[in-house]
Amino acid sequence: MKTPKFQGTHLFDRLCWAKENLEGVQSDYRVVYEDSVDECSKVLIADPNWLSCALQGGILPPVWVYHELAKDEATEGFTKHTRGYLLHQTEPVGAMTEEEAIEYLILKDCPESVWKTYNEGNRLKMVICKKEQLPQTREWRNAWKISDDLSLTDLAA
Amino acid sequence: MAGKLKVDQIEHSTAGSLDTSYVVNGSAKSWVNFNGTGVIAARDSLNVSGLLDNGNGDYSVNFGNAFSAADYASTGNSWSTGSTGFLLYGNASANPTTSASRFTTSSTTAFGDSPIIGLSFNGELA
Repeated sequence: MKTPKFQGTHLFDRLCWAKENLEGVQSDYRVVYEDSVDECSKVLIADPNWLSCALQGGILPPVWVYHELAKDEATEGFTKHTRGYLLHQTEPVGAMTEEEAIEYLILKDCPESVWKTYNEGNRLKMVICKKEQLPQTREWRNAWKISDDLSLTDLAA
Repeated sequence: MAGKLKVDQIEHSTAGSLDTSYVVNGSAKSWVNFNGTGVIAARDSLNVSGLLDNGNGDYSVNFGNAFSAADYASTGNSWSTGSTGFLLYGNASANPTTSASRFTTSSTTAFGDSPIIGLSFNGELA
């Protein structure tokens, strides 16, 4: 199905169109990251309906739009977004592969402090893996950490 | 056929009339049903970009279209497989942002993963 020309259409309306017209896609990829020494590893999962939007193209705004809104929200005294139009007026991005969509999701939903420096420091802070690579046991999972044995070459493509 | 009705009020033949702003403002702007056990995954959703498994009974929902402010309302429920139900809390350690909200599920004594979690969010979108 061809995506209608959505630039200028409210993003929520585009997501409603996608829900009505596209099948959700469950991803096998998971993003494991650590953003606090006091917390265990977190696992980020792409939403199936969102992923279908990414694969379809012409629906989601460029990821820099979310970064602009995040900057606004981090401003002292922030109460309400005044640049929401960026979500709706900016030309949507084209179709992505699943791998590109996961990278987009990382840039959107992982803390910047993680994705900007994930491979700096003494150990990895973020890993993209397949879901079957995650521990199957649920025991002690509040203490789960990314293995110190992992290196950059272990990252899934 | 796609189309648009631009009206401020709708009227039922016998039951009275309603401002369409009630419909626009009163509809959920984001919702999700997901399995919070094992490798968590959404069953169905609207306006959700991803789920985050923060730990035992601890989850976040990320929105596709952010809310205009962080004062949106959320409701939800969570099921347990045991004899006692799970309670659903907003996570006190992480205030909601316009783009994400964090929750915990627990029994009366401890956090725990829930097999069915449903969440709904109302508010004004950015």
